Amino acid sequence: MIAAAAQPDSVGGLLRAEPDTLRAWARESASALTWFCIASVVIGAGAYGAAMGSWREPVQAFYTGIKLPLAILLTTLGNGLLNGMLAPLLGLNVTFRQSLVLVLFGCAITAIILGALSPVALFLVWNTPPLNAATHLTSPEYGFLQLMLATFVGLAGITGCVRLWPLLRDWAGRSEVAGRVLLAWLSTNLFLGSQICWVLRPFIWDPAGPPRFIGQEYLRGSFFETVFDALMRLLLA
Amino acid sequence: MPLPLGDDPADREQVLNPITAVEAILRQPRRVMYQLRQPGAGQLIGSMLFVTVLCSLVYGVIVGSFSGGTQWWAAPVKISVGLLISALICLPSLYIFGCLSGAQARLSEIFGMVVGLLMLTTILLIGFAPVAWLFSQSTESIVWMGVLHLAFFAVATGFGLRFLDAAFSHSQARSPVGLRVWVIILVLVILQMSAALRPLLGTADDFLPTKKKFFLNHWGECIRDSERAGRYQSRD
Repeated sequence: MIAAAAQPDSVGGLLRAEPDTLRAWARESASALTWFCIASVVIGAGAYGAAMGSWREPVQAFYTGIKLPLAILLTTLGNGLLNGMLAPLLGLNVTFRQSLVLVLFGCAITAIILGALSPVALFLVWNTPPLNAATHLTSPEYGFLQLMLATFVGLAGITGCVRLWPLLRDWAGRSEVAGRVLLAWLSTNLFLGSQICWVLRPFIWDPAGPPRFIGQEYLRGSFFETVFDALMRLLLA
Repeated sequence: MPLPLGDDPADREQVLNPITAVEAILRQPRRVMYQLRQPGAGQLIGSMLFVTVLCSLVYGVIVGSFSGGTQWWAAPVKISVGLLISALICLPSLYIFGCLSGAQARLSEIFGMVVGLLMLTTILLIGFAPVAWLFSQSTESIVWMGVLHLAFFAVATGFGLRFLDAAFSHSQARSPVGLRVWVIILVLVILQMSAALRPLLGTADDFLPTKKKFFLNHWGECIRDSERAGRYQSRD
């Protein structure tokens, strides 16, 4: 039997922690939990990002290894104030700092799962026919790679949320309140996260040119405009 | 609820060498599960690893006997190395899914469980080896042999996974969902590994393929090639 520590001291301890333990950590060792979660995001999401980008070339692996954790951390920070305000408004009595730690905890779980899946992602990338002059955005091998890598991200994201749920329910004391808060946090994170990922793209490959950290053209437009335009084209075609 | 490990005195009997490890995993798997939790489980893991490598090499020779030539040594090496690499690729995710399920197992114990899974799988493959050898000497169809080896692999892996599931149930995991997801990932990785290290059956100029393919594409091509060859043969 592995006993719960006074503060997070290992990945296993963080993942196995019961809601009571997590609550105690968020209240009494918030800085330790925050730093542990940040480190988990940087290492876990960084490893997965590097595996994703390695299909293009090592420079892209390096960039995506930085960009993926950056997207997660920027989303958490960017929504920190809003999430901190929404929680008490929806009935969950937490401080701004505690709400930030809770959201970060969900992201850390997602990132740890991504880190654990990074050898599988790397194996997948290694098995995908390499990029060549004939490869284009609609190539089946590229589509399959995108689909699998996105499935892993989706799987990890859902698990991160599922792990956050008992903690919120325990903290709020009522399932409805916990559900409202979780839904609100998910919506705000999805909204901002989509745009941050849009700005930080490409994560795998840009057919228009050599790998760059962020191209000037990526700062134009938004994720939602593009989705709306695509939808209109589809409906009016 | 299964009886806790160690409550039965038979569980506490030490597994001292590879032979007792084979016997224990077949007859008293709880002994292996219990030993994996004890300090000094490294010796048992080492023994199981040794048996896994040996059995996979032997089964590989049977696989290689279909084509002969360089496949006598290439197929065993590829099967043995492929199985170990697949397990290593999937090990971190099993540990993480286990922790998320609340399993109180350390990484070394999880590693031991995976090695146990591999050992049981490869031991059972050895059991199938005479049948596989007989067929490989009497047929020339790569597709048929491929299907046969896959079927043997599926049965052997099924028993291996049953061991893993039982070992996991003693680690206080609250939910089996993580393990189920991981099993799908492991099976897909092993199947893809068989395509990445092709040919395991048949011959090729190179030890490893120069073109990357997904396993389903590879199987599809093998079936089409075989049908084409069959048509030419019937015309002759």
